[in-house]
Amino acid sequence: MSDATLHGAQPRPSLLVADPRTRKRNAAEARFRAYGLGAIVISMVMLVILLFTILTGGLGAFRQTYLEIPVTLDAAQLDKTGNRDPADLRKVLTLTYGKILQQSLEQAIADKGIAIADLSAKDVSNLISKEASAQLRNRVLADPELIGQTVEARVLVNGRVDGYYKGRVSMESAARDANTSPAQLQLADALKAQGMLATQWNWSFLTSPDASDQRPEAAGVGIAILGSLYMMLVVLVLAVPIGVAASIYLEEFAPRNRWTDIIEVNISNLAAVPSIVFGILGLAAFINFAGLPQSAPIVGGLVLTLMTLPTIIIATRAALKAVPPSIRDAALGVGASRMQSVFHHVLPLAMPGILTGTIIGLAQALGETAPLLLIGMVAFVKNFPSAPPDGLFEPASALPVQVYNWTQRADPAFIERASGAIIVLLVFLLCMNLLAILLRRKFERRW
Amino acid sequence: MPVSWTLLIVLVLAGAGYLVTRARVVALAGGDTRRLHSRPSYHGWNAALLTALPALFLIAIWRFLLPAANATPVAVLALILAAAGLGVALSRSAPGFRARNAVESMVKGLLILCSSIAILTTAGIVFSMLFETGHFFQQYPWQDFFFGTTWSPRFGGGSQLGILPLLWGTIYISLIALAVSVPIGLFAAIYMSEYASAKLRSVAKPAIEVLAGIPTIVYGLFALITVGPMLRDYFAQPLGLGNSGASVMTAGLVMGIMLIPFVSSLSDDIINAVPQSLRDGALGLGSTQSETIRKVVLPAALPGIVGAILLAASRAIGETMIVVLGAGAAARMDMNPFEAMTTITVKIVSQLTGDNDFAAPETLVAFALGLTLFVITLGLNIVALYVVRKYREQYE
Amino acid sequence: MNDMRLLERSVDQTEIKISARDVQVWYGEKHAIKDVNVDLLDKTVTAFIGPSGCGKSTFLRCLNRMNDTIDISRVEGKITLDGEDIYDRRVDPVQLRARVGMVFQKPNPFPKSIYDNVAYGPRIHGLARNRAELDEIVEKSLRGAALWNEVKDRLSDPGTGLSGGQQQRLCIARAVATQPEVLLMDEPCSALDPIATSQIEELIDQLRAEFSVVIVTHSMQQAARVSQKTAFFHLGNLVEYGNTDDIFTNPRDPRTESYISGRIG
Repeated sequence: MSDATLHGAQPRPSLLVADPRTRKRNAAEARFRAYGLGAIVISMVMLVILLFTILTGGLGAFRQTYLEIPVTLDAAQLDKTGNRDPADLRKVLTLTYGKILQQSLEQAIADKGIAIADLSAKDVSNLISKEASAQLRNRVLADPELIGQTVEARVLVNGRVDGYYKGRVSMESAARDANTSPAQLQLADALKAQGMLATQWNWSFLTSPDASDQRPEAAGVGIAILGSLYMMLVVLVLAVPIGVAASIYLEEFAPRNRWTDIIEVNISNLAAVPSIVFGILGLAAFINFAGLPQSAPIVGGLVLTLMTLPTIIIATRAALKAVPPSIRDAALGVGASRMQSVFHHVLPLAMPGILTGTIIGLAQALGETAPLLLIGMVAFVKNFPSAPPDGLFEPASALPVQVYNWTQRADPAFIERASGAIIVLLVFLLCMNLLAILLRRKFERRW
Repeated sequence: MPVSWTLLIVLVLAGAGYLVTRARVVALAGGDTRRLHSRPSYHGWNAALLTALPALFLIAIWRFLLPAANATPVAVLALILAAAGLGVALSRSAPGFRARNAVESMVKGLLILCSSIAILTTAGIVFSMLFETGHFFQQYPWQDFFFGTTWSPRFGGGSQLGILPLLWGTIYISLIALAVSVPIGLFAAIYMSEYASAKLRSVAKPAIEVLAGIPTIVYGLFALITVGPMLRDYFAQPLGLGNSGASVMTAGLVMGIMLIPFVSSLSDDIINAVPQSLRDGALGLGSTQSETIRKVVLPAALPGIVGAILLAASRAIGETMIVVLGAGAAARMDMNPFEAMTTITVKIVSQLTGDNDFAAPETLVAFALGLTLFVITLGLNIVALYVVRKYREQYE
Repeated sequence: MNDMRLLERSVDQTEIKISARDVQVWYGEKHAIKDVNVDLLDKTVTAFIGPSGCGKSTFLRCLNRMNDTIDISRVEGKITLDGEDIYDRRVDPVQLRARVGMVFQKPNPFPKSIYDNVAYGPRIHGLARNRAELDEIVEKSLRGAALWNEVKDRLSDPGTGLSGGQQQRLCIARAVATQPEVLLMDEPCSALDPIATSQIEELIDQLRAEFSVVIVTHSMQQAARVSQKTAFFHLGNLVEYGNTDDIFTNPRDPRTESYISGRIG
């Protein structure tokens, strides 16, 4: 048989020399490997570019340009009656405070001897943000004793001037811009040289509410963070118990029949239903049918609960499945009921896995945007909601929706705010994921 | 709020029921708990659950299903139910009463209820959309919706609401996204499971998982401020293909990046499910590693990979934020990938945000779009999950 | 039957096919193979026996460098095939494995048709110039594995649909089709029933005409039935190597004797 080889018996070539075919095959092997490595490199590069653009674009939101000037709170303008009656003080509009700020600024410029030759009075006053007068008014209303005094005030500067110090606005672009002018920027530079104008760390980005179209410099994510927090609270309270209970039934008690089959297929399908469909459900069921208010965290929370349930159920079932049957047998063997064996033994052992799955589900819910758009979370909200439970029914925003909201505005300064809000969102997500990883590390158990 | 008051009273009653019944049963047994069939706390729980469950159930139905119903009689009815439950529990408490079995069957009932929420959700989705879609088709002919090639809603009448341009945009963008994500995701998964050293894997795998955890709004912003302008300035304008930042290509590319981790983690699972013995068999015959993968592992994993691609396609079709920010709002049927087009999900968002008039077809069309989207993705998911499940069974 | 075998055994081959000198294998920290020296003969069945964990499979996997696929394993020493060092840097393990085929413990047919299973090796190594030649190789290999008559009418059926014994013969046919010089078999019958086992054993005896066969087996009876040479491994050492008859009837080392008589194992 040996001499009947097909091409006649040839002496075998040496192992030490690669034959041409092997060389060709090895080249193919190297190419294939390179494709694989390339794919990984591309993914990593994309991740880096993505994070880099968001970070560089958004870090500016955490810094803000302020003007530090002495402001004379003229009693004649602010309190004509002179009795510091809060009701009367409230009648004084922000317009008046705007004038006071303008006068103070002009005074300060004159004191420092800065030339403002080719600058109109409007250009000078425009240097100050429209939000600044409202902030000053709030400060006076909170402390009427300030009236009549001259106080050092930290005054928000117009978004264009702020943009100038963050590199978004240049002298060239200012020349073409109706909202600012090179002369105004030169004035700002002069003020900066005098130490009156500085770009500082901006806490109010994290604490203040959204601001209107004209005032990007005042916009913050305070309400959005609170709204997201409220929704996470609802999800935590509803999705976790329901999800865990459903998983326990399906994994430990459910008979294998058509009904449980339907439930299982249903859950895996729900996990893949587009999120926007849940938004339609929320709109139709919770707002139009059940009559819950629009823009309320409770509705957002309910929608996100329904969306998160499949994730939590899938993770919990995996955790329950990982507990070996011997544990259940041991409990049953000493006379525990099945319910007892599950609640006393299996569930505690599965807890780390359940927690990890829950956190990942919550993180998903936190970043979800599309369904919230449909239940009115895009509305402009200026007032903080009160504490739960009532606050759950009051209008609020949410972090990812706030990002969307800002991308829809004309002023490019809002893009910086949007990126800043994403940084906040990513920080939250990072913390949650780290927590999940830590939990997994700490409690990881191999059976 | 009468709801919270009723709730509070019911819960207090339940708590009291727990304590009273527990004490009563211990007393009946003469202090010797060994004479009880069940531990005393089970008797207590039995009372608490009997008190709370029917009343809470009633309140839930009232609050969410009949929001318009008069509050006072329902609250009174709930309290009567709670008191009756407590009474029943007290009268049945005796040392021989099988409280544990009673509690366990009630808990089991609760568990079943919770697991049915998934079904309720699906039913809710289907019914809410069917209902409004029905309204829509009463006002707008379905032939024009499904076969119309123009999308121009006009509040005030005379709208043309054809789905085809939206469907075209959706499919075009999804195809580009798949063309980006499937090769990259698949090769990444192959490299990760077959070649990568432990060190590389410990860096690359979390990195790809991070990509998966980034919310889609972030990708949307990336499309809007980075990818869109870049494609416009370096490709579309020099080539004379348009000057829009938002385009099919922008949305498709970014969505492709979003789907890479999705495809790669699914493929990774599937490739790892191929038994090692098959790899050994091929290597033992003198295959190179890539021949083993291409000719043995991948063919063996093919059904699973097809399932994964279908799941990715369904994700792409249903994705909203990336297309809202990256694809544009103009409904158009064009081949030029650098042109702004729009998708089903974009139009659902634009028709349903702001002030809605739920009598106008321009608003109701969003439900018909939603239902279409749901049916398409559901079909893809069911096929994909079936294929993947069959595939897994083969190697179990 | 035994008498016949003894007669055959007496016509011994003397040409050395594989020779191992001072072979050491480490799995991470574990020293799995220690100082193994052995010469395996051409056209002979050599059996590796020994208690489980003794290193016989590990050593077998060194002979076609399958250990390369395990990250933590490290091989030292010299193994030559026809006088060429197979661990030389210039040697491509892919080319080596084409000449030293392997059959595994569990039948592992690819999820392809019977034909494609057998044709896999010839295709990747480019052994056939056209379809007719490939058909010929497939038929010859299936005949060589004593499977042709059972499957000739259903070559396009999936290989995974065959019975366990048939699957294992398919795997042998698949290995034979690449026209190797040495066939390594790692406990090829351990997953099979007695009837399938005896078919495989008969086949191994036929394969000896063409190949040098090395078989790892758990069963001493099997070693005695199929092999001309036997090597006994214990705790990573090659304890004794010689003619099968001598090992089983007249072991020199006390450890071999204990194992043969069932005291260790």
